[in-house]
Amino acid sequence: MNSAIQALFIGLRTTISNIRANKQTFLISVMTIAISIGILGLFLIVFFNLNGLLTSWNQQVQLVIYLGDDISRSQKSDLEDLFKLNSKVQSTEEVSKEKAWQEFKLKQMDRAGVDLDLGFNPLPASFRIRFTVSDNRSLHIREFAEQIRGEPGVESVEFGEKWIGRFEKFMLICRVFLLGVGILLSLGLILIISNTIRLSIYSRQDEIELMLLIGATPRFVKIPFLLEGMLQGLSGSLISLGLMGTIYIYMKNEFQPSIESIARGMEFQFISQPFLLILVGLSVLIGFIASYISTYQFMQVLNKR
Amino acid sequence: MIQLFNVIKNYGSGKPALDDISLKIDKGEFVFLTGPSGAGKTTVLKILFGWERFEEGQVLVQGINVGRLDAGNIHTLRRSIGVIFQDYKLLPNKTVFENVSFAQEVTNRDRKTIKFKTWEALKNVGLTPKKDSFPPQLSGGEQQRVAIARAMVNTPPIILADEPTGNLDQEISIEILKLFEEMNRNGATIVFATHSQDIMKPKKHRVIVLNRGKVVSS
Repeated sequence: MNSAIQALFIGLRTTISNIRANKQTFLISVMTIAISIGILGLFLIVFFNLNGLLTSWNQQVQLVIYLGDDISRSQKSDLEDLFKLNSKVQSTEEVSKEKAWQEFKLKQMDRAGVDLDLGFNPLPASFRIRFTVSDNRSLHIREFAEQIRGEPGVESVEFGEKWIGRFEKFMLICRVFLLGVGILLSLGLILIISNTIRLSIYSRQDEIELMLLIGATPRFVKIPFLLEGMLQGLSGSLISLGLMGTIYIYMKNEFQPSIESIARGMEFQFISQPFLLILVGLSVLIGFIASYISTYQFMQVLNKR
Repeated sequence: MIQLFNVIKNYGSGKPALDDISLKIDKGEFVFLTGPSGAGKTTVLKILFGWERFEEGQVLVQGINVGRLDAGNIHTLRRSIGVIFQDYKLLPNKTVFENVSFAQEVTNRDRKTIKFKTWEALKNVGLTPKKDSFPPQLSGGEQQRVAIARAMVNTPPIILADEPTGNLDQEISIEILKLFEEMNRNGATIVFATHSQDIMKPKKHRVIVLNRGKVVSS
C-alpha cells in the first residue's frame, strides 16, 4: 500500500478512536458548528428570497415614455425606429391620450368624491416599453431611458428609477452584512474547533510524544487531528443544512401561496446548490484551519525543548 | 557510531546540565552510563535521540549530525534508535500487541509485516501469552519487557535505555539485563543508563561515569 494512503488510513482509524474517547467534546463542537452554520444559512435564505423578490419585481418594471402634445408623426416614427433597433426591447404598446384617460377613469371609478369631469384631457400620450428578461435588465432600461430622454417629441420618461435604486442599495447592504456575519462566525468557529482539537491533543499528549519518540513524522502525528477538525466541520454543516432543509420544506408548504400573492411567479427559495457546496466546503476548511493551528502550536512547543 | 564533542547543555539556571562533555561509543558496544541523580545521564540520552537541544558542541549518531536536524527530519534519527524508559511509557488503552505494533505503524510498515514482527518481538521477550492484556494488568517486569519488545521490533542499530531497571527488583533486573545483552549479541549498540551498582557488578561492559554534567571516567 502506498505510504501516504496507509498514513491516511491509520490517521482515520486514530481519528475515530479520538472521537470515541472525547465523544462529548466532539458533539458539543459539532452542535456549535451546526448552530453557527444555521445562522449563516438563515441569512442566506433571507438574502436569496429578497433577491428573488427584487428580480421578480424588476421583471415587471417597464419604461413609460410620455410624449409631448405637439409631437409630429415623423418624430413618433423615429422613436419607433429606435425601439426596433434595441435588441433588448421585447414589446411596445402605444397609449393614446384617450386610452390613458379611459384607463385613469377606470382606476378612479371606485373612489368616491373624485371629480373626473375636467372638460379636457390632461394626460399625455405614451409608449409602454417592455424589455426582455435578463440579468442586467434594469441597467438596459436605465441606459435606454437616458438615450430616449433627449429625443424630440419626448416629454419625460419613467421607470421607477429611485425605487429600484433604493432596493438595490438595500441588497448591497444585505450582502455586506452577510459577509460580515460570515467572517465573524467563521472566526468564532475557528476558535471553538481549535479549542476542541486542543483538548483532544492534550488528552493524547503521551501518545503523541511517544509517536514522535519512536520516529513518527510530524505529518503522521497531525493527520488524525486535521481529519477530526474537518470531520467536525463536515458533520456540523450537514446537520445544519439537513435541519434547514426540513424547515424550508415546511415553510414552503405553509407560505408559498402568500408569497405568490406578494410577487407573482416568485418561488420561496432555499440556498442555491453552489452556495450549499460553499457552506459545506467553508465549514470543512474552517475545521482544517482550526485543527492545523492547534496541532502547529503543540508541535512548536515540543520542538522548542 | 556515537560521538559527543564538547557538548554543553543548559536548562537555564545555575550550572550546566552537561558541562563540555566528550565521549565515544563504538558500533556494537554495550556501555553503562552511570552517576548520581542529576549527573546528566538522562540529558545525554535525550540529546542522542534528539529530544533535547544543546547549546554548544557536536553530536554524531550513526553519522548523523544531531544538532543540524530539525522537526521535519528528526524522525530519520529516531527510527534508528530504540528508546526504553524507567516508566515504560506504554499506552494504557492499547493491548500489549497493539503497543508493540504501534511502533511500526508510525514507520508506515504494511500490516502483514507489522503482525509478524510484533509476534517475533513478543516471543523474544517471552510475552506472547500476554499479548491481549493491557499494561495496567501486567507486573513492572512484564511492562518493561513490552517496552523492550517495542524498542527492538524495528531492529534499530542503537538502543538507549534510561534506568530500565529502576523500578524493578534485583531478580527481574537481571532478567531484563539479559534481554539487553541478547540484543547486543544480535548487533545492537546499547547505552544503558543506571545508577544500580548491582547491575554493573559483573564488569562485563564499559562504564562511563558522569558527575555534575562532566565525564568522570570512561
